[in-house]
Amino acid sequence: MSKGFLFINSVTVRYDHLVAIYKVSIKLALGKFHVIMGPNGGGKTTLIKAIAGLIPYEGQIKIDGLNMKKYLKKYSIGYLAQRGAQFQSFPLTVLQVVEMGRYRFRESKAVRKEHAMQYLDEVKMSSLASHPIGDLSGGQQQRVLIARALATESKLIIMDEPLTGMDPRSQSRFYEMIEHIKEKHSLTIIMSSHDIGFTTAYAENVFCINKRLVPHDEAAKLLKEPEIKKLYGPNIHLVEHHHLSSEEEEDV
Amino acid sequence: MFEFLSLPFMQRALVGGELVAVIAGIVSPILLFRKMSFMSVGISHGAFAGIALGILLGISPMWTAIVFAMALGLFIGFVSKTGKLSEDATIGTFFAFSMALGIFLIDISKGYHPDIMGYLFGDLLAISLSDVYFSMIILFITLTWYFFRGRAVVYSTFDEDFSRIVGIPVDIDYYIFMAVASLVTVVAVRFVGVILASSIMIAPAAASKMLSKQFSNVILLSILFGMAAVLGGIAFSFYTNIPSGPSVVFFVTAIFMVALGIKWSKNFARS
Ligand SMILES: Nc1ncnc2c1ncn2[C@@H]1O[C@H](COP(=O)(O)OP(=O)(O)OP(=O)(O)O)[C@@H](O)[C@H]1O
Ligand SMILES: [Mg+2]
Repeated sequence: MSKGFLFINSVTVRYDHLVAIYKVSIKLALGKFHVIMGPNGGGKTTLIKAIAGLIPYEGQIKIDGLNMKKYLKKYSIGYLAQRGAQFQSFPLTVLQVVEMGRYRFRESKAVRKEHAMQYLDEVKMSSLASHPIGDLSGGQQQRVLIARALATESKLIIMDEPLTGMDPRSQSRFYEMIEHIKEKHSLTIIMSSHDIGFTTAYAENVFCINKRLVPHDEAAKLLKEPEIKKLYGPNIHLVEHHHLSSEEEEDV
Repeated sequence: MFEFLSLPFMQRALVGGELVAVIAGIVSPILLFRKMSFMSVGISHGAFAGIALGILLGISPMWTAIVFAMALGLFIGFVSKTGKLSEDATIGTFFAFSMALGIFLIDISKGYHPDIMGYLFGDLLAISLSDVYFSMIILFITLTWYFFRGRAVVYSTFDEDFSRIVGIPVDIDYYIFMAVASLVTVVAVRFVGVILASSIMIAPAAASKMLSKQFSNVILLSILFGMAAVLGGIAFSFYTNIPSGPSVVFFVTAIFMVALGIKWSKNFARS
């Protein structure tokens, strides 16, 4: 039943006693461009890290019928973390950063380099291959990280708020590039964002991680699906988000 | 000016010292980029407690120092990885404890211990042949580690989450690195002493970081800077009769200051 989907089934993540996301269930069709929306602290990063196997969670995540944790032992996925200032002065070149994506492949140095160059080419960054990663602008670094994600040859790319700090023009160029690589490599793309912008013009599926403090029934009252569709276009879907009972709230 | 090289004890000091510079030069840039340079301060002081225990028990202080330093290194690593406490807080707590323990152990062991100053501040000129062999073994271990795990460790230093995703055993690598770094620090302690070991573990890498944006060059430079400082320091100590440990530290610091000057003047020229 979960063939052809990334199947997230009743996933709960707790940080110590704080419940960050609670019983999130959603089926995401493979080969499509999905956008996770939600306010700051809504749990987007948490959900993304759970999918990427970077944090422990309750519930199940399956990809194409396979347990995601098992899948991740064998295969890489393309993962772009929410951006910080971590790449400011690290002495690696752009090319070396992309080569990270080839870690699982047994190949000679020359072949590794060749592959990395090819993916840099795809994001139009090969001219900067020998530059230190820290010398690039934020937008350029983002493209290098996309090349690194492609270099893993994964069919799944997950990006946590890649649009932060981009002006509208760069944003639309970014979306165009994403669409292009998605078609070319038949990728599944999951991306988070907290502003609607023109997300809905490009995304094939938009879903919201509600603030866990907003009761589900109230949220539903506030935001009826047809109204949201009117606002944001036909690709948006509300995801049922279980409300914490008052007992569980006290733990929080 | 190189006539000091004809003396056997000077030769041992030089060969041993240069080996330490190479070993420290390989490991210390990674410590630096992990913002864990202070770790070498912690471990070297941990080694002091080990040395004191060796003196008390009448066994070779080197072995007890290794055991203590590795235990402390892994413990610091474990606490900072799992305890949500930064390394410097853990190190700050435990290096004072290790010194206290060391002084206590020496105090209760009988007799007079003239070599304590040597352990604290290093005595390159008291290096024996077995010390030289010992550092050769550590060099071999360090090179082997770097050959097999170097790339993965640089990756996980740069981006831990992505490294996990591409299948690097980040946690195992972390503890192996802690163990190697502890070993390397003990060798440095043997040659330049507990108090000064952190100098050779930090300054050459810090100087190199300012001058290069290529990881392999940072390592190469930090090896070369360490080697130059050891050569300069030993020669200087021979001709001026000052202790060799401080002399090496003076040279390391001078190199650091020069690198800083170059970096500043570059920034200045650009603006
Ligand atoms: N490492 C952590 N330890 C404790 N609590 C955390 C941790 N990471 C996130 N949280 C909490 O979990 C909740 C969800 O955070 P998350 O980072 O997933 O939100 P987000 O939707 O990505 O927000 P943003 O738009 O700001 O990136 C927040 O209340 C946050 O404070
Ligand atoms: Mg986030």
